Amino acid sequence: MEVKSAMTRARRGLREERRLYIVAVSSLAVAFLCLGATLLGVTNLDAAADRWGQSGRITLFLKDDADPQDIAQLRVVLEGLSDVREVTHVTPEQAKASFLEEADVGADLSSLPKEVFPASLEVSLVNGVTRERSESIATRLGQFRAVSDVESYRSWFQKLDDLLWGARMLAAGLALLVMFCVIAVIGNTIRLAVARRRQEIEVMKLCGATNGFVRGPFVLEGMFQGFASALLAVLALLVGYLALHESVDSTLAALTGSRVVFLGVWTWLLLLIGGALIGAIGSALSVRRYLAV
Amino acid sequence: MQGTKVVRPFPFFRAGARASQPQLAKPILVLEDVYKFFRPDQPTLRGVNLKVERGEFAFITGPSGAGKSTLLKLLYRELMVDEGRVLFCGRDIGRLTDKSIPFLRRNLGIVFQDFRIIDHWTVFENIAVALEILSMPQRLIRSRVAEALERVGLNGRGDEQTSNLSGGEKQRVAVARAIVPEPALILADEPTGNLDPHLAIDILTLFEEINSTGTTVLFATHDHSLISKRDHRLISIDEGRVVEARQGLKDWPGSGIHTLVG
Ligand SMILES: Nc1ncnc2c1ncn2[C@@H]1O[C@H](COP(=O)(O)OP(=O)(O)O)[C@@H](O)[C@H]1O
Ligand SMILES: [Mg+2]
Repeated sequence: MEVKSAMTRARRGLREERRLYIVAVSSLAVAFLCLGATLLGVTNLDAAADRWGQSGRITLFLKDDADPQDIAQLRVVLEGLSDVREVTHVTPEQAKASFLEEADVGADLSSLPKEVFPASLEVSLVNGVTRERSESIATRLGQFRAVSDVESYRSWFQKLDDLLWGARMLAAGLALLVMFCVIAVIGNTIRLAVARRRQEIEVMKLCGATNGFVRGPFVLEGMFQGFASALLAVLALLVGYLALHESVDSTLAALTGSRVVFLGVWTWLLLLIGGALIGAIGSALSVRRYLAV
Repeated sequence: MQGTKVVRPFPFFRAGARASQPQLAKPILVLEDVYKFFRPDQPTLRGVNLKVERGEFAFITGPSGAGKSTLLKLLYRELMVDEGRVLFCGRDIGRLTDKSIPFLRRNLGIVFQDFRIIDHWTVFENIAVALEILSMPQRLIRSRVAEALERVGLNGRGDEQTSNLSGGEKQRVAVARAIVPEPALILADEPTGNLDPHLAIDILTLFEEINSTGTTVLFATHDHSLISKRDHRLISIDEGRVVEARQGLKDWPGSGIHTLVG
């Protein structure tokens, strides 16, 4: 009954203060949008890292003067490993051709001697091989006589990890900032609403309303504002995603072999619930401070 | 302050509690040697002693600034006594905690000079608020409000916007809000102060009708013409002290009306 009455009164409050609340919600929606966009970036980086991490690759560069028999033996060893899915021999000609095809540089590079491109064995690992495991396989393979150099893309993964960490920190920092924004903006809005409803608050108190009864609707109104802001931001992000993902997808697929993904269910649910919760906290703090019943 | 010492609230003033038989047998209101200071050297109320029985109708009078509003505020705990005791149904309300004050006020109906009606609410909403506080179901609220509207002579006008009402009608809405939870005691602080004389009589009559159903009414006014028309008990505050007359001005003890209303 108490909750129902508070909701009825909160609805009336939302209707009466809609101008005030629309301003608050739209500015908070922008804050949530920034956070949501960052989270979308993190989600996609994460997905990409995940995909690359799973499809582990090792490149064994072969010595120019390597004995074909050694190479054949190496292949046999490789194909015997349970972690290895596929081994492809790339000759210098093939390496040059694929480089020329992919590198879209203006200068004419076709005159480059094929010795610039060493022969290699491209080793694809089966899905689910951890980075440590692929690292140790690479070290062992480096000891073969035919191998001049091993590339396990470790530094590359390290960079990706660093990037991901940075993005996560950014998201966390933004989340904190947005939290303060929500508390400040909603707190202030509720303070104004309390001032504007001073008269009815006084009447309720004289009729014997408890603190909770008077404060309840304000907390609900703050909660609604937080939720609405987060919802608006998520919807705007979704619209943007739906409008752009196809064109971005094709570019990204060519570049990295991955596709754009939207925020995970838990992420946007968390945004909505977090928005509502922080909105409620912001208004509760404000009401405690400005509504001395 | 004296009143803040006891922390435990009285059960009588908790949600849903009803007055017990011994409580009902006691006078509804007793003031024992009550002092209220706004300035340390000059008390607004000095040693007020007063007893009000259930079902009484009493005027509280005295010149402007005598302390009528202050006395009423002590009763609904807008203010706390500085010395002495205020007993409502035998309970010392000076010692109520802040948490219990709402439950005290649910036993009171309070009406003011300035109506305190919310202009952007309908008549119904303005009255229903007193019952919503009690978590009453909507169906019951509707029937009780309709009943209250009938009692104050605004039958069927619940849907009207209060901003369109005249002063007299607004005060009727305020009275309806005060009586709708069926309080034991009505406190009216100059309820006719903003009304024309003939409307003032109407409102006074309305309070008398409410009183005739058993509700105790304290009616504060400095309007001599109103007091002189009736023979109710007269409680006059002068220089912080109470002077009383049982039967209106007829048996007024002092040297006439001038000591009464200045
Ligand atoms: N909150 C307050 N602070 C200081 N002085 C007050 C306060 N309330 C009332 N007073 C003083 O107490 C006296 C009585 O006021 P009040 O009870 O309003 O008189 P009445 O209602 O009889 O006209 C006045 O002198 C007034 O100035
Ligand atoms: Mg007064």
